[in-house]
Amino acid sequence: MPAEVQQFDVVVIGGGPGGYAAALYGASAGLNIAIVELDKVGGTCLHRGCVPAKEFLETAHVRRTVEHSSAFGIAATGVSVDFAVSQNRKNEIVDRLFKGLSGLLKGRKVTIFSGTGRLDKDLTVTVVDGADAGVVARGKNVILAAGSVPRTIPGFTVDGKLILTSDEFLDLSALPERATVIGGGAIGCEFASLLSDMGTQVTILEGLPSILAGCDSEVATVVQRSFKKRGIDIRVGVKITGHTPKKGTTVIAIEGEGGVETDLVVMSVGRRARTEGLLGEGTGVEINAGGFVVADGYMRTAAPNVFAVGDVVAGTPQLAHVGFAEAIVAIKTILGEPAVPVDYDRVPWAIYSNPEVAFCGLTEAAAKEKGYDVVVKKDPFGGNSRAQIIGDTEGVVKIIAEKRADGSGGQILGVHMAGPWVTEQLGAGYFAVNWEATAEEAAALIQPHPSLSETFGETLLALAGRGLHVG
Amino acid sequence: MADVTLPSLGESVTEGTITQWFKKVGDVVARDEPLFEVSTDKVDSEMPSPAAGVLTEIIAGEGDTVQTGSRVAVIDDSGTPVAPSSTATNVAEAAPAVPERAEVPPSAPPAPVTPVTPVAPVAPVAPVAPTSEESSTAGVVVSPVVRRILNDGGVDATTVQGSGPGGSITRRDAERAVAQGPSEEVVVPLSNGKRRMGQHMSVSSQSTPHGFVAIEVDGGVFAELDRLGRVTRDGEPISDEMVVSLAAVRALAEFESLNATYQGDEFVVHRTVNLGVLRSIADDGMLVPVVHAAAGLTLRALARRVNELDERLASRQLTTDDLMGGTFTIAGAPSEHTLWTTPIIIQPEVAILSMGAVRTVPVVTTRGKTPKLEVGRRVVLGLSFDHRVCEPVGAAHYLERVAELLAGMDLESER
Repeated sequence: MPAEVQQFDVVVIGGGPGGYAAALYGASAGLNIAIVELDKVGGTCLHRGCVPAKEFLETAHVRRTVEHSSAFGIAATGVSVDFAVSQNRKNEIVDRLFKGLSGLLKGRKVTIFSGTGRLDKDLTVTVVDGADAGVVARGKNVILAAGSVPRTIPGFTVDGKLILTSDEFLDLSALPERATVIGGGAIGCEFASLLSDMGTQVTILEGLPSILAGCDSEVATVVQRSFKKRGIDIRVGVKITGHTPKKGTTVIAIEGEGGVETDLVVMSVGRRARTEGLLGEGTGVEINAGGFVVADGYMRTAAPNVFAVGDVVAGTPQLAHVGFAEAIVAIKTILGEPAVPVDYDRVPWAIYSNPEVAFCGLTEAAAKEKGYDVVVKKDPFGGNSRAQIIGDTEGVVKIIAEKRADGSGGQILGVHMAGPWVTEQLGAGYFAVNWEATAEEAAALIQPHPSLSETFGETLLALAGRGLHVG
Repeated sequence: MADVTLPSLGESVTEGTITQWFKKVGDVVARDEPLFEVSTDKVDSEMPSPAAGVLTEIIAGEGDTVQTGSRVAVIDDSGTPVAPSSTATNVAEAAPAVPERAEVPPSAPPAPVTPVTPVAPVAPVAPVAPTSEESSTAGVVVSPVVRRILNDGGVDATTVQGSGPGGSITRRDAERAVAQGPSEEVVVPLSNGKRRMGQHMSVSSQSTPHGFVAIEVDGGVFAELDRLGRVTRDGEPISDEMVVSLAAVRALAEFESLNATYQGDEFVVHRTVNLGVLRSIADDGMLVPVVHAAAGLTLRALARRVNELDERLASRQLTTDDLMGGTFTIAGAPSEHTLWTTPIIIQPEVAILSMGAVRTVPVVTTRGKTPKLEVGRRVVLGLSFDHRVCEPVGAAHYLERVAELLAGMDLESER
C-alpha cells in the first residue's frame, strides 16, 4: 500500500550546511520545510570535516604555545599529549553545536525525516532507509543537498586502521609515529600540519608540482618552507603506484623512487558528489560525467522546481560557506525574490594549517592569465609589531591589483595571506575584492595599531603608490 | 476543471496579447476576480475569472498572443482543499532546461517569454513581489564602491546593464557608463497605450489634411450649471464637457456632413451620432470611449452614459465595443487654463470638436445703448476638420450653431 504523501513547500535532501541553511533561511520566510538526513543534521562539516579538524588543529596550536612558553619566562616542564582528551573535547564541541542546530531547526518547525532521500518524479521524495523508511514527501520545490564523500585512489582500500580518509582520521584516539598524507591540498596540509605539530613524522605525497596548487604560489611557498623547517617531508610531482602492507605498517610505492614506509596513510585526494541513489526514474535532473548535479547560478537544476546546493553541485568550490550562500540564493529564487548568484571566483578560502592560509579573488598567475596588467605588493609579517609580540612572524600578505596608467594599483583583484590568524583577517580583503575597491579606496581606511591586520593595511598603502613601512 | 478562455474582445478583434497574470499557479481565485490583463490594438482590459477555484495551469504566458476563444489557463473548481497557501511559489515551473554549468559563474538562461531580458532570476509565471524580471536584473548594485562611482557620475543604476553575476553592475560596467556621460536621457519603453495612440495619431495626421477653426463664445450657461450644483436631478455629476457635448450633438443635426466618416474614397454620412469622448490615461496614451446613439439624449441621459463609460475606463473594464463606431468626437479642456487645443482627428471620422477651459473674464455687453464692461464667462470652441471634405466656413458655422444652442440651453429642465 502506498504511503500517504506528506506535503511541504520545500523538501531538502541532506542536512549538511547547504541543506540546513536552506531549511533555516526558508523557514524564517514562513516556508514549510522538511529535511531528509540519514545521519545527524550538520553534515560532513560539523561531524566529519571542518569543525572537528579545527579542534585538533587548535590542540596542536596549544601544544606549540606551551612548548614556546619559556620565551615568555613561563616554565612548562613535563609537557605530554593525551590525544584522547582532545578527541573528547572535540566530541563535546560537536555535540553542543549539533544540539544547538537541532534546536534551531525544531524552533522553526522544520520536519526532519531520518533516512536517505531519493528524488522521484513529480517532486516526490522517498525515504528509502533509516527510521523513517517508506515516508513519501512531496515538495512544491525540492533542494538536493546530498553533499560529498572522500575520494580514494586505486590500490588503496580504506580500512580505518592503516588507510584512512578524513572520515576515519577524525575518530583517531592515538597518533602514530609516522604518517603519510596523500594529497597536498587544503585538507591534506591541515592534516600534515596538525600531525607534525603533535609530534608525528609526516610525509606529504602530491602528484602536482607543488602543494596547495590552488593558492597563490608565494603563499604556498610560505607554507612549504614552514613545513620543511618543521621536518615534514614534502614530495611533489610523484606518481603513487600502490602499497605493500607489512606488520602494522605499509610501504607506499612511488614510480621511479624508493618506497615510503609509514604507520598511517591519510587520503586527502578530493571529494566526490554523493549522487548514487539520489535520483529515481525520470526526474529530469542532470548529472555530469563526474557525478555532480548540474545547476545554474540560481541553483536551478534541469528539472523544474528542483534545486541543488552545496558540495553536490558541479563546478563549485566545496566549502560550507559556499553551501550557505547557495542555499540563500535557492530560497530567494523559490520565493520569487531577486537573487544575485554566488560569484564563485571571489569566495573566501581558509586553510587552518600552521601557518594559516586565507585568500579571495585571483592569484597573480590567474590574473595574468586573464590578461590583466597587474601590480603586486607584499608585506611579510616579520615587521608587524603584534606578530612579534605573539611570537609568530612567519607569513606574508600579498595583494594583486590591476595596474593603472601611472603604475599604481587600481581595482584589487586578489588578496592572499599566509601567517598568524589570517583566516580571521581575510574579511577586509574579502570586502575589498568583492566590492571592487581600488587600492587607494581600501588604503584610505585605517587598521588598528598594533594589530596583525596592519600588514594588510600597509600592503594597500604601498599598492596605492606610497607606503609607510613597506616599499 | 474549468477552462479559462480569451473571451471575445469586440466584433473586430480576433486576438489579444496577455500582458500580465494577476494570479499564479496554485493561487485561489474567486469568480469574477481579475485574473489576467489582455492587450489588443484598441485597449488593455482586465479579464475576470470565469470560475472560483485554484489556478492549476497557465497555458498562455505573459507576452503570448492568443486567438479569442483559445484556452489560456485552467482552474480547478472541484472545491477540493488545497495545500495551505504559503509564500512558496512554483517559480521554477516555467524555467527552461538548465545549460551546462560553466567554470565561471553562469548567468541564468533567458526567460522564455521576454526575449529582451538578458538574465532572469525568477521565472516569469509567478512574480510574488511587483519586481518584474526586468527591474530585478537591470541595475543590481552589489558593491558600495560601484554605487558611489555611479552616483558621482550622475548615472542611474537602472540604465546600466551589468555584466556580473545575476546582471550585477561591476566596477568596470560603472566606469564605462560614467565615461559615456550622465544618463539624463533614459530610454523608456513605450506602454502599449502610448504605442496605440502614436500609431493612430501618426496615421491620422499623415493621411488627413487638417483644418482648424476656433471661436470664442459666451459661457453664461456654465454659471447656471454652477448655480444648479453641477448635478442632474438624479445626482449624476455634470461636467462642462457634457454641456458642450449636448449642444454639439444637437448642432450635428443641421451639419450632417460633419457626422461622417471618410475611408478609402468613401465619404459616409451617418444618421446616428456616436459621440466619442477623448480621455487621457496616466502614462498610457489616450482612449476614446463612445456614447452610441447620442442624438436625442437629454443632458441627464448623456451625463449618465458618459459617467458610466468613465467608470469602466477607471476600472479597466472597457470593452472594444465601447471604443468602436464613433462618428464625431469631443475633446474636453485638458486643464483649467487651457485656451484651446487643436486636436487630431480620430479616424475615420472627419471632425473633432475641442473646448478650452471655461474662463471668468471681463466681457463687453451691448444690452441697452452703450457697451458695458461686465464680468462674464467665455469659452473657446475649436473644430479640427478633414480639409478634403469640409472647409473653414462650414466649420465656423457649425461652431456658431453650437454657441447658439449653448446660449439657449434650458439647463433646469434638461438636467
